[in-house]
Parts: sequence; C-alpha cells; structure tokens
Amino acid sequence: MRGKKGRLIVLFFFLSPFLLMLASLSIGRYHIPPLDLGKTLVRTVSPASFPEVPPEYRDILLRIRLPRLLLALLAGAALSVSGASLQALFKNPLVNEYILGISFGAAFGAALSLVFLGKGFPPQIAAFLFALAAVLAVLVVSGRSGSHTVSLLLTGVIVSAFFQALLALVEFFANPYALQSLFFWLMGSLSLATWSDLSVSLPVMGLGTAALVLMRWRLNVLSLSEEEAAALGVNVRKEKLLIIVLTSLSTAAVTAVAGVIGWIGLIVPHLVRMMVGADNRKVVPLSAALGASVLIVADDITRVAASFEIPIGILTSLIGIPFFIFLLGRSRKVWL
Amino acid sequence: MVLTLRSAAAGAALVLMSAAGPATALQIAGREARAVRDSLGRSVTLPERAERVLSLQPEITRIVAALGAGDRLVGVDYFILNHDHLFPIVFPGARDLPAISHTSEDINFEMVLRLDPDIIFVSPTELQMVDALQGKLKRPVVAMASMGSFDRLVEEILLVGGILGREARAAELASDFEARLAAIRGSVSEIPVEKKPRVYLSFWGALTRTPVAYEPVDAAGGVNCARGMLPANLGTIATVAQAEQILVWRPDVILVQGSYPPKERAITTEGILRDKRFGSLPAVRNGKVFYTFGFWYWWDPALVLVETLYLARLFHPEATGAVDLEKEANAIFKKYYGVDGAYTALCRTLECGAWDER
Repeated sequence: MRGKKGRLIVLFFFLSPFLLMLASLSIGRYHIPPLDLGKTLVRTVSPASFPEVPPEYRDILLRIRLPRLLLALLAGAALSVSGASLQALFKNPLVNEYILGISFGAAFGAALSLVFLGKGFPPQIAAFLFALAAVLAVLVVSGRSGSHTVSLLLTGVIVSAFFQALLALVEFFANPYALQSLFFWLMGSLSLATWSDLSVSLPVMGLGTAALVLMRWRLNVLSLSEEEAAALGVNVRKEKLLIIVLTSLSTAAVTAVAGVIGWIGLIVPHLVRMMVGADNRKVVPLSAALGASVLIVADDITRVAASFEIPIGILTSLIGIPFFIFLLGRSRKVWL
Repeated sequence: MVLTLRSAAAGAALVLMSAAGPATALQIAGREARAVRDSLGRSVTLPERAERVLSLQPEITRIVAALGAGDRLVGVDYFILNHDHLFPIVFPGARDLPAISHTSEDINFEMVLRLDPDIIFVSPTELQMVDALQGKLKRPVVAMASMGSFDRLVEEILLVGGILGREARAAELASDFEARLAAIRGSVSEIPVEKKPRVYLSFWGALTRTPVAYEPVDAAGGVNCARGMLPANLGTIATVAQAEQILVWRPDVILVQGSYPPKERAITTEGILRDKRFGSLPAVRNGKVFYTFGFWYWWDPALVLVETLYLARLFHPEATGAVDLEKEANAIFKKYYGVDGAYTALCRTLECGAWDER
C-alpha cells in the first residue's frame, strides 16, 4: 500500500472503528430515533437542553451501549495486537494471544471466585490475577530451559492443561448456582460491561496495546534469529519478556471483563498481513484498527441477530474461521 | 382404548403410555403388560412392583417422598442431597441415601447394580444418562420432567403414583394441587389485563438469564415479560435476555431467584436497585424488586404452590386479602410431606420472611 491511495486506505482503516462505534450507538433492541440520539448526547453535555428526551435513552446510550462499545473497541484492538506481537515474537503463525495459559488461568480464577471466594473477591479481579499467574508460571518454568522459544510454547500448553484440570475440579465440586454463573462467564460476552468494571480494565488494555504499537519496529528485529537480533544490539531476552508481559496484561484485562473471545488474535493479524505484508511496523497498528472494527461489528450482530444475547466468542469463531479458510484458499500463503 | 391419567389413578390401567416428545402429555392405555411412554417418547416396560426406586431426577424424588414412598428410595442424585435446601427438611431420611450421580452424566454404574433398583427415574434433559443406564444395566429407565408446566406436574404425580402403586395418594395430591391452584387463580381472575404487573425474572445466577415461560407468575396474575421468546438452550425454558431488552420491556416488578442462601447469591435485589442502568424502570423506581423461590431441576409440588400464593399476594394484595403466608405455606407442606413448620425452617435458611417487605 504505497502512494496516495494506500494512505487513504490506511486512513480508512484507522477511522473505521470510530465510525462503526458511532453508528453502533443507534443499534439495539431499544429503538431510539437518530434525532433523539443526538439530543441525548447533547443533553449529556448540557443537562438543561432537550428536557423532553426520556431518561431511558440516557441509560441505554451511556450506561449500556457506550461501555460495551468502548470495551469492544479496545478489546478487539488489544487481542489483535497481542496476537500479532506473539506471532512475530515466536515466529509461529499458529500462536494466539491465549497461548501462554491466559484463558484457562483466567477461567480458573473466575471459577474460584464464583464458587468459593464469594462477593469479597469479584471474578474480574480473580480472573486477571490468575491469568497473570499462569503467564508467570510459564515464564518461570520455561526460563530453566535452553531453547527459550520452543520451551515457552510447550510450557504454555502444559500450564494451560494444568489450569484446565483445576477448572474442571472446581466445576465438579461447585454447587449448581455458582456453576451457572461460571458457565455464563465462560461463554464470553461484552454485555456485562459496566463503567466500574471498565474503569480498571480499559486503562490496562489501552496502555498495553499502546506500548505494543510503540514497540512494533522491535518486533521486526525480534522476528529475526536470536543471534541476528543480538548482533543488532537488542537484548533479546529482556525485549521478549517485556512483550510477553504487555500482551499478557492486555489479554488478561480483556478476559477478566469479557471472558474468552477466541480467534480474533489469530485471524485479524493474518488478514492484515495478507493485505500489507509481514512488516510489523504496519501489521501491529493496522491489526489494532481492524481488530477493533471486527469486534464492534461482531458485537452489533450479537445484539440484533436474535431476541436473546448470543455469546460473542461463539460468533467470532463461527464467522472468523470460515472466512479465514476462504482467504487462505485464495492467497495460498501464510504470511509471517 | 386410551384413557387419561386420571382414570389410571382411579385404579384401571396397567399399561402407561404417552405420545412421543417432551411437550406431549402423558397418557395411559389399557393392555396387559405394564409399560410407560416417557417424556422422551420412549416406551419403557415397567416391573410388576417398584419396591426399590433410584431417582436421579430431583422433581421425581420429591414426588416419591410426597407420595409417602420415600422409604423405597435406594439412591438419589448429588444435587438433592447437597444443594436442595428444602428436601432435607421435608424428608430427613434423605441424608442416609447414597448419591449416585453428580450434576449430569457421571453415574456410578457399579453402585447402581449394587443397589439393584426395580426402576430408575432420570431427567429427559440428560439424554446420555438415559441411554447409558438403559443400555448398560438393562433396567427400566423412565425420563420425566414437568418442564415448568402445572398440568404436566399433576400428570407426573399421577403417573409416579401409578408406577409405585400409590394411586389413591397421588389422586389426593393431584386434586389438592389443582384445588389450591384454582383458588389462587380465582382470587386474581377479575383483575383486568392492564392491571396485571409486567414481571421480569432474573433466574439461575445471572441477571439476564430468564425463563420464557413461568406459570406461577401467570397464575398469580402477572405477565412474564419474556413470554414467547425462544429458549437459548434447547430442551429448557431458559433464555438470555439483553440488558437493553429489559429496558424495552419496562417491567413493573423484577423477581430474583432466592432459593439458595444469601451468601451464595450472585444476583441480589439490592444490586439491581443500585444498578443505574435500570434506574428508569418502574420496578426499580418503585422499589418493586423482590426475591422469589424459582427452581432448580424443576419443581417441588408444595413449594411451587407456596410460590404462586406468595406471588399472588405480592402482585395483588387487595385481591388476595390478608393471607398469612407462613401459616398457609406450613399447612401446604404438612399436607404434602406430613412435616410441621417446614416453611418456617426453609425461611430460616433462605431468609425469606422479609422478602416482600419494601
């Protein structure tokens, strides 16, 4: 993508999540006429304006739609950037943002909270802490091995399996009331987003994603062999650790409030590479933009496709996988 | 000749049949061999006498106890022993029974063989359990559930009574159930539709999980907001509403499942009243957010009557008059289980004495 046309396409990429977000404010089960939508937004800033606007409109826009759209925007960006970064770091196109045990670590944390710890320890916080604990376990265990990249991936699989077993154990002993709450959490959804949840998780997602975007050129260096990267003056181990910590923080923050949303971190970076090539200076920021757009559209579909809420994790998998297979079939190439 | 269950309870039929499918009413036909067509449409040949009963379906377990045949139970499921807060009160003998299955399909087959049951009751929603038991153990396995229907609950009482040879007691309970239900319905029958409160139910540990049909609300003179929605899980009556949809419905009353102790409740009435997203709803504005009993693994026949009475009093106090709920509820439990003060004891666990005080 070079020249004026290329720049326009890039501009469109970066504008589209915000345009989609604006359009999505008018989508939902509760019909709000477009004019009233504008009036409600104005009334939020200037409470004396448009007194005829029903209070329900404000609740729907500001307390239901806006938090979940902001969550979709940042979660989509965070998962995609994490996926792209880890794929480059491990030089492996099959790596996703959950490869280091985050998903099952978070699920186990949520299960502990819902089943045993009670209201004093909310599932969001427990999920976040155990997601990080899983990554920490991977780093500690794999750190003793010589071949770091392979051992990291293998240890990630092992730690995931361990937390999966712990999760199954908690599920087995859970009472059915807690079990239902747990299943609901595990399905993954943006619908439960509230400002109090987001006040902690959004800054973590935002900072983690922004830092990864700023480090995008280093990913190009790290995707070389470790010897080549070291010859270019990069402290490979330190840089790898930093990227793993940032991706883990972002993904754990998403998982804690929205559950496990699969495939975004795998598919979106590949789509971007199919369009712009493997240069991480382009792949990482464009993945953020496309990931945000994809998750906003997916969330719109979950809200309007049926009278009930469809878990977004199911939708991203159902739509993402066939689409990915179609694109792979056309390009006949996996970029990295 | 096909007869109704009521005829069977009067002492006629030996062969128990129903049309196939969980939504079809069970029926009994006259033949020489004893057989039943269960809620899954399976034809099950019954033993001459069912002296040893293994019930892995809590609703049936409760009915067996209410029929006075609790001493025939040789095993039950894990839920009713460990998480049902009512059953140990109305049937203390349950504590001595072994738990044969956990929450779904994990059955201890060797234990089942050791218990040597004449008949096994299971839930039609647990298909693998039905096939596994029938296929491996060659014992009669009957899959039944009321699926949240009063009529089917009555039929179930009569059918289990027929299977256990407790037809008279089953007929007595069925008649009592229908009479009490008719009395509650009668007390609110004059209420015009526009005066009936629109009710949203938050059940099963999640704010947005709700039943698409809930007959206690209808019978008590309310309108379930989610009525007519598609269930999100096939074979159940549960769906997942959107938070925005609750605002569209504008319920006058919100009911939260409270059939478990306060410390285990993930969703609370206080939490909903504080939730600013719902501040504009009539239910929240007017403080009409209450606990109700709800159900897990379908109903207890006595508790669902108590719940319907409680809801009628909650929705239309002017029509139901000064009902002493505790006294009435204790009388209902006495009738069904022969236990004094069961409701009072249950309320101590659930803290339900002050549910409707706001």
